[in-house]
Amino acid sequence: MAVRSLHVSELSARGFRNLRGEPLRLGPRFTVLSGDNGQGKTNVLEALYVALTSKSFRTSKLSELLAHGSREGDDEAIATVRAHVIEDGSPRVQTVALRKGHRLVKIDDKRPASLAEYAVQSPVVVFHPGELSLSMGASAERRRLLDRVALYSAPVALDSLGRYTHAMRARQKVLATRGVGASDLGDWEALMAEHGAATCEHRRRAAEKLGARASKVFGEIGSPGMALSVTYAPGGPEEAEELRRVLAELRPADLRRGSANKGPHRDDLALTHASAPSGRSAFSTLAAPLPVALHPVRGTASQGQHRAIVLSLKAAEIAEIGAARGVRPILLLDDVSSELDRERTRALFSFLRAQEGQVLLTTTRPELIDIARSDERVDYTVCDGVLSALVDG
Amino acid sequence: MLPESVAKLGKLFSRLPGVGEKTAARYVLHLLTSDPEISRTLGEELLQLHARVRPCVRCGNLAERDANSASADAVCDICRDNKRDGHMLCVVGRVHDLFAIERTGTMRGRYFVLGKLLSPLEGIGPDDLPMMRLISRIREEGVTEVILATPPSVDGEATALFLKRELGPLGIAVSRIASGVPHGGDLEYTDPITMSRALAGRQKL
Repeated sequence: MAVRSLHVSELSARGFRNLRGEPLRLGPRFTVLSGDNGQGKTNVLEALYVALTSKSFRTSKLSELLAHGSREGDDEAIATVRAHVIEDGSPRVQTVALRKGHRLVKIDDKRPASLAEYAVQSPVVVFHPGELSLSMGASAERRRLLDRVALYSAPVALDSLGRYTHAMRARQKVLATRGVGASDLGDWEALMAEHGAATCEHRRRAAEKLGARASKVFGEIGSPGMALSVTYAPGGPEEAEELRRVLAELRPADLRRGSANKGPHRDDLALTHASAPSGRSAFSTLAAPLPVALHPVRGTASQGQHRAIVLSLKAAEIAEIGAARGVRPILLLDDVSSELDRERTRALFSFLRAQEGQVLLTTTRPELIDIARSDERVDYTVCDGVLSALVDG
Repeated sequence: MLPESVAKLGKLFSRLPGVGEKTAARYVLHLLTSDPEISRTLGEELLQLHARVRPCVRCGNLAERDANSASADAVCDICRDNKRDGHMLCVVGRVHDLFAIERTGTMRGRYFVLGKLLSPLEGIGPDDLPMMRLISRIREEGVTEVILATPPSVDGEATALFLKRELGPLGIAVSRIASGVPHGGDLEYTDPITMSRALAGRQKL
């Protein structure tokens, strides 16, 4: 499939966090937002992310996105973000309006059938310092990565997960209020099993695609002689009948724990790295039989290796959702060079240049961004929520 | 800016579904500038509404009370309709759903409105469902088939599973409405979630 071009030409935000002022005109390649900390650089990336997906990468609470000062007791406060998107030469306007507890999405003034459908229109991938926890931290971040990738190959993945989560919460509430013998427990467990099995299937497929790509990238940017393996680690039985049986069995334990011990809400992406036997490149171990020593990366990898793993996962995400939609995803990089050493920053920017997609990045030190000021690069400074174009000096 | 009574009535209108503040203000201004008779009739009808219209004692549908009767109980038109097939009973969550099915004109049987769905997160459990009323109605009226038409939400599905199990010992046929692609449309325009449900619920030819 030919790769179509995709970029946002203009972004406007009203009532969104601290952002004020004129719409932002974006370059088709690189837009660099610089400014001191706390001025609203990340808010700009977030506004674009919300406009394209209707979700934030920083918070699940929509009310936090409403302009400062208008949150408390004001049910009428509305935040609107609007992106002018150009895909393969044809323009469209994507709008997301947020009000306490509500969100309204429109593509060219038409409402899409579902939020899932909206979210896959214009693929966007964000990379922020917090994402170093992808490799080192708890499993939630890795599950989110799987779900983002799954969404692009099957929009129903989001629906299955939502239904699973709802049934899981309902079951836990029944356990807590009416005990392990409640007459409707089995019904909630049946629904957990049905939608949980569907969620597992989507995630397993996403993990396979993501894993193959991440291992390949790691072979290129990781330490020589090291190989990365990324596999789906289900948090319970993947098959519906078996999950249902296990849930029924674990009722007393789940009641004591206050949450279900087994199920896709405990899924993870297992990251293991291995030293390749000498004389082979890290690359060839992917197809060859598994190398001798496999280690979970948590606890054993060095800081530098963790960063290389995270970069590999993000590069895999970019490649996979780009391939699924046939476009190059838009990349949002939040203060990334602050977390990477000089060498990996250079590797990142050479990767970005090779990507040929649109990139927005924030930095406190624009002079360190290794992209020449040219037609390809547009610079803005952000000060107290207001953007101003930086005259090329 | 607006007189207090106008603002107050506007606020009340804006609590109706689908009515925003602007529309509410238009309603009030319209009433003020039109024939006062409209306001009077409207007010009188509203005053009588709850006294005249009651839930049907048999099915929970909306029913008009017999003005000549001393009893507060009412039976709806569908329950009184002798041409209906008394062996078939369609169980719905809300009166709105009953109307949606009734609009199709294809439902020959009668209805039973649950009034609520299982929803532990909102504190609604099996004891809150009118199970005794449902079961005694099935027994008394000789119902042989129950159609579960609760919505395809998680709560609706759980309620359907629960009812299916609870009605099992009665030895009657229990079916669930299908979910699938809209009629007359191109498959091309069907949203992926509806389409995948239609695939999952496919039928043998």
